[in-house]
Parts: sequence; structure tokens; C-alpha cells
Amino acid sequence: MATISIENVRKNYGAVEVIKGVSFEVADGQFAVLVGPSGCGKSTLLRIIAGLESVTAGDIKLDGKRINDVPPDRRGIAMVFQSYALYPHMTVAENIGFSLDLKKVPKAKIRKEVGQVAELLQLSELLDRRPAALSGGQRQRVAIGRAIIKKPRVILFDEPLSNLDASLRVQMRAELQRLHQELHPTIVYVTHDQVEAMTMADTIVVLNQGNVAQWAHPIELYRHPKSVFVATFIGSPRMNLIKGVVTSKDVTSSFTATEGWTVPLAGKNLAATETQSVWLGIRPEDIRLVDANSAADLSGKVTIVERLGAETYVNVVKGTETLLVRVRGDIALRCGDTVQLVLDRASFHFFDQADRVFPA
Amino acid sequence: MTGVHKFSRAEATAYGFLTVTLVFCLLPFVWVVLASVDPNASLFLSLPKAITADHFVKIFTAENGGRWFFNSLVTVGATTALVIVVGGMGGYALSRTNAWWKRPFLYAIILVRVLPPTALIVPLYKVMLISNGVMDALVRSIVPPDSIRSVMQIFGFVDGYLGLILVLSAMQLPLALWIIKTFFDLTPKDYEEAALMDGANVFQRIRRILVPLALPGLGAAGLLTFIGAWGDFLMPLTFISSSNLQLLPIGLFRAFQRANTIDYGYLSALALLYMLPAVVAFGLARRFLVQTFAGGIKG
Repeated sequence: MATISIENVRKNYGAVEVIKGVSFEVADGQFAVLVGPSGCGKSTLLRIIAGLESVTAGDIKLDGKRINDVPPDRRGIAMVFQSYALYPHMTVAENIGFSLDLKKVPKAKIRKEVGQVAELLQLSELLDRRPAALSGGQRQRVAIGRAIIKKPRVILFDEPLSNLDASLRVQMRAELQRLHQELHPTIVYVTHDQVEAMTMADTIVVLNQGNVAQWAHPIELYRHPKSVFVATFIGSPRMNLIKGVVTSKDVTSSFTATEGWTVPLAGKNLAATETQSVWLGIRPEDIRLVDANSAADLSGKVTIVERLGAETYVNVVKGTETLLVRVRGDIALRCGDTVQLVLDRASFHFFDQADRVFPA
Repeated sequence: MTGVHKFSRAEATAYGFLTVTLVFCLLPFVWVVLASVDPNASLFLSLPKAITADHFVKIFTAENGGRWFFNSLVTVGATTALVIVVGGMGGYALSRTNAWWKRPFLYAIILVRVLPPTALIVPLYKVMLISNGVMDALVRSIVPPDSIRSVMQIFGFVDGYLGLILVLSAMQLPLALWIIKTFFDLTPKDYEEAALMDGANVFQRIRRILVPLALPGLGAAGLLTFIGAWGDFLMPLTFISSSNLQLLPIGLFRAFQRANTIDYGYLSALALLYMLPAVVAFGLARRFLVQTFAGGIKG
């Protein structure tokens, strides 16, 4: 159990800079998720924390102690690899107990500890099998067992669920959370899947092109994204972005979309940005369908109806813009229908031309 | 129509051709086996009227066959061991490096296999002769005069085990490097990194992770090396002159070359003995070939 601090870390491969001065902190016992599109540097960062890669500049600290030059096995950090990397020539028990065996722990003690870990991970029946004879989920659990038997201060996960099918992934997500609650290690978890990040993390570090785009609690990220990148990366389906300008008449500011419709801005003061072109961001659940005779912000034509059961996602086209709207599951709508939309003013996000959010 | 399959003309021709080819290929083996136990063996294929072990006894008693067999096993065995160790380390390095010279190097070493060894035997002999002079001076400076000859038979570059082992290894190494390199290419780095995280030092990573993982590749390379070196004729002919260092293929060749009469029974018994280790090696290591050329690491 430990606090990890990443301070101004940079990493170059030749002339290419993959990590461009990253700083964040993971508190003791926290479940931190590094998330970002492929190539954003998240796996490199994880490997740097593990000690498998060196840094070009900056510091990695564990409980305040600089560990840049400490070899991987002395850091008290365990890692679960994306491929699991279970030794194919060893049984499950040998795989889990390998680190203890290397430390010359007596055989009886290894057996006991492997037994305990196996029980925790429901692997007791499989101890004599080879990895080749295990299912994907079982391999995943063996890989976790191999990590936790070392009683590490930190466990690193490199996209551990990416090789599993969808239903197993949901199950393993729950299992990882249970494990975290029982053992309370500090966890740094890398994924490109924002759903995994949102469901498991205490804190999310969003990375983009080698930089930290934003670092916050999941709900904070969802509610207050600081950039277009974070706004559209976090949340599924993604946030709608509408291009337009801020106009003002008398004392009330309004947003006028390029497509011609206007919404008044309640409480948001964007006077400084008047006549500038801006992006309005609004999430699918913050748009409502209303009756034809009620007051509406805009109307549009339904082009796609996706029914998920509990909810339905509707694509509404207005000119060249397409808005994704979340509605009830049993709504009677067909492609080609004209619908009236009301936008929730309190949930507006405005971004400038440089894709940064305007402070509210 | 009946259930009996009727051959079409094309099929009959094909099977006929295959049968002739098969018999043609098998005949030498049949002859060797039959002649080796036939007291009246001759150049012509015939069923033995009686069965005898005399030819085999002759190899080990009247002739120096046991010694030839031992010499062959020592040099070829050492060659195989050396190629597995050097090829294993080199193949690993070639697989993991991103150095600019990697591709040029890999193609350059294949040249060693491409060029006919006979064409290079004279310069090679010259190089070995010079090395032998250096080794001779070195040996003279450490060992007493009366044991120089026996030491040079082991460590000499010409007419010594070491020289032959090195030459045979150099010939077999390129292929082994390619096989092992390709095998490591298919072996993810994750295993080593996982072992590193588990606290394994470099020797533990080699012994407990890399070698077990690479076993099929090492086995396949070792098998091809053994068979290649065992079947080599030119190198032992060129580099070995002492009769007590003679290798089996040379013994076999000399038996065939004898001026007055050829003892076909003895010759085929010797041929059979010469074939045996290659067949045994193939039987033992066959599965490595399959694993290496039909898949990589599973699990």
C-alpha cells in the first residue's frame, strides 16, 4: 500500500517524444485508471512505473521516495500483463508461486500461500493445470494471483480485460472491484475503454498524445470536462457538439447554432465570447423530446432509432448537424418522424476554438 | 456397379509411377540391411541364406570401428552442444535487437550455407593451419613435451577434435541462428518481463523461463545440426589425418576404397551403424521440429 507520484515525466524514443511531461498522483489504496486512445502513452507510462522502461526526465516516487533507479523487482510493484504472460511450461500453482520460489521460500510455505490465493480467486480446482488448459477468465485470475501473492504495494494492470468477451469482462470488472475492496492495494489500471474507467476508478487520468488531458474523479470528469477531448472521450454514447456563436439581445445571452436555431443561456455569462464561434456540448440524456404543441428549442427529423430495451437512442438531424438523444425504451418513434427537442440549459458545456472549456 | 474401386487409366499410371519410385528409393536400404547380416554378401541384392553377426563383430574387433564411432559422437555431439548454446544466445539477441545491422547480418550468415564448402576449403585450411601453429606454440609452453601430441589431438585446429568441432559448428550455426531467432520472434517479451517483475535475475530468467520456452526451437536447431554434422564428409576428410582420430564416414569410405577386395557385408554393417545415430536423433527430437515449424508458444 503506497502513494505513487508521477512528476513531470518525459519519455523519448529517439526523436519521438511519447510522454510529454506528465504529472499526477495516486493516493494509498486508490484505484486509478489511465485511459486514452491507443498511442496516447498510457502503456508506456505504466511500464515506466513498473520499471520496465526508463524515463527521459522527471521522477517516479513511491511514498515520497524516488524509485527511478530501483530495479523492477525491488519496487514492491506487481504487474498483470495484457497477454497475461503465464509461463506455459508451469502449472497454475507454479505460476502463482514462482516469485516465492525465486526468493527460496520453503516449499510448504509456498504451497500454503498459493492455496490461500487460489481460494480467494476460485482457482483451487485448477492448481495442477497448465495455462493452455484454462479459459480466458481463468488465465486472467491466475495472472492476478501471481501478482497478489507478492503482497505488492502497488498492482499495475495493462488492459487486462481486452482479451475477454463482453459478458466475461463485466464479470471480471466486478471481481476486480471486490478484490480491491478486500485487499486494498494501490492500483494503476490502463485501458482504452472509458466504460472500464468509469465503472472501477476512484480517480481517472485521461491521457491524450502524451499529455494529461484531465485528472479527476469519474463523475467530476463526466460533469465538468475541461476540453472537447475529455468531453467526447468520457461518456458513452458521446457528447453532442454543436457549432455556433454566442449572441446577445438586451441583457440575455443566447447561443445561435450554425443551423439557425437559438437557445437562451440561463445563468451562463459568456459575454466575452460574443460573436466568437464556439462549441456547445450537451450529453444525450440532457436533451428531451416534447409534444408538437409545446415550446421547443429546435425541431428535427429522426434518422436512426436504436432500441436497447431500457432506453432508446435517437439520431435527430437538423440541417447538417446530427444530435443524439436518449429517450425512454418504449417510445413510439419511427425514422422520418419530426420531433421537437428541448435542451437542458444547466447541462451546457461551452468550448472555445482551441477546444478548451469556458469557465462557467 | 460393385463396391470395388476401379482405377482409371490416369490413376493406374500415377500409382504405377509412385510404386516404381518407392522401390527405387527403398532398394539401397533393403540391400544394406540384408547384406549386413549375410555371410556371403555381394554387390547384388539377394536374400541371405544364413544370418550372421560377424560383420558387426569385425567392425569392433578387426577394425577400429568403435573408435571411429566414438570420434564421430564426440565431435558431432560437441558441435551440436556448441551450436545450441551459441545459437541459443545469438538467436535470442538477433530476435530482440533492433540494430541496423540485423538484416545485413542475417543475410550474410546465410551465405555461409549458400557457398559450396569445397570451394572454400583451401583458404579455410590455411586459416586453420595458422591457428594450429599458434595453438601448438601455446601448448608447448604449458605441457611437458611427451604429452604435447595427445593434447594437440584434442585442442589442435588441424588433426584435432577442437578444429573439427569449430569448423563443423561454423557450418551449422547460420541455420541454427535463423531457426532460433525465428522461434524467439514468436515468443513474446512479456514472459521475460513477467519473470523480471517476479524477481528473477538474468540467469534465472534464462534457465527457468527462456530455455524451457525455447526448447522446441533449440531442439529443432540441435537436431538439424546433429544430422548435418553427422553426415558431413569433407571436413573430417580434410582436417583429420591421424588414424586414431578418424570419423565414421571416413572409415566407411576407406572400407569401400580398399584396392583388392571389397567386403560388402562389413561395408553395409558399417553403413548401418553410421545411419543409426541420425535415425535415433530424429526419433528423439522429431516433435521439436513439428512444434517449431508448425506453431510457436501456446498458452
